[in-house]
Amino acid sequence: MARLSGLQRDVLSLYRQCLREVRKKPIDSQSNFKNYARAEFQKHRSVNKKDFSAIEYLLRKGQRQLEMYASPGIRNIR
Amino acid sequence: MFRSAIVRSLRASAPRAAVKPSASFQIRSSPIAAQFTPSLVSQSIRFYSAPAGLSKDEIEGRIVNLLKNFDKVSDASKITGVSHFSNDLGLDSLDTVEVVMAIEEEFSIEIPDKEADQIHSVEKAVEYIQAQPDAH
Repeated sequence: MARLSGLQRDVLSLYRQCLREVRKKPIDSQSNFKNYARAEFQKHRSVNKKDFSAIEYLLRKGQRQLEMYASPGIRNIR
Repeated sequence: MFRSAIVRSLRASAPRAAVKPSASFQIRSSPIAAQFTPSLVSQSIRFYSAPAGLSKDEIEGRIVNLLKNFDKVSDASKITGVSHFSNDLGLDSLDTVEVVMAIEEEFSIEIPDKEADQIHSVEKAVEYIQAQPDAH
């Protein structure tokens, strides 16, 4: 794999954080959370890697979403 | 002059008097310590079994099995001990993250981001797991 840029590493790190949070959820809803995280990332696969402002915006949005869904009150997701 | 000499001699004797009882304490306490130490020593000895140590083949087998169960792999017949995640198995960087996380779970370890970014092939993953004493 080609060397990743800092921004690309940030994206992967966010994805990793999301997957780590999934493990803290109840076992029966873990696959739902995982599929959701995966779908959210796949949605923006086509974003050009040079489009820094879009990627940074999406990263911030993703971090906010992660914080929100990481709250232990949220036990399942569609 | 004479008075100050008396005061000095009193001062000198006072601490000696204070030291004496503590010295006798030490003497008295030492046999007790001698009585207790043997049992304490025998309690503190623990026997550990030798570390299990995973063999290269076992690690490889477990990673290959894990990849076979991964739905994104394009061609399951290409999974071998040396396959590269993106070149041979058609995984993108997000899938690679998922594979590395699955490996973490399989061997119950946590791989820091920096190392996880370096794992791009089955071979690299096996190498990394072998270097981890906590992996099992």
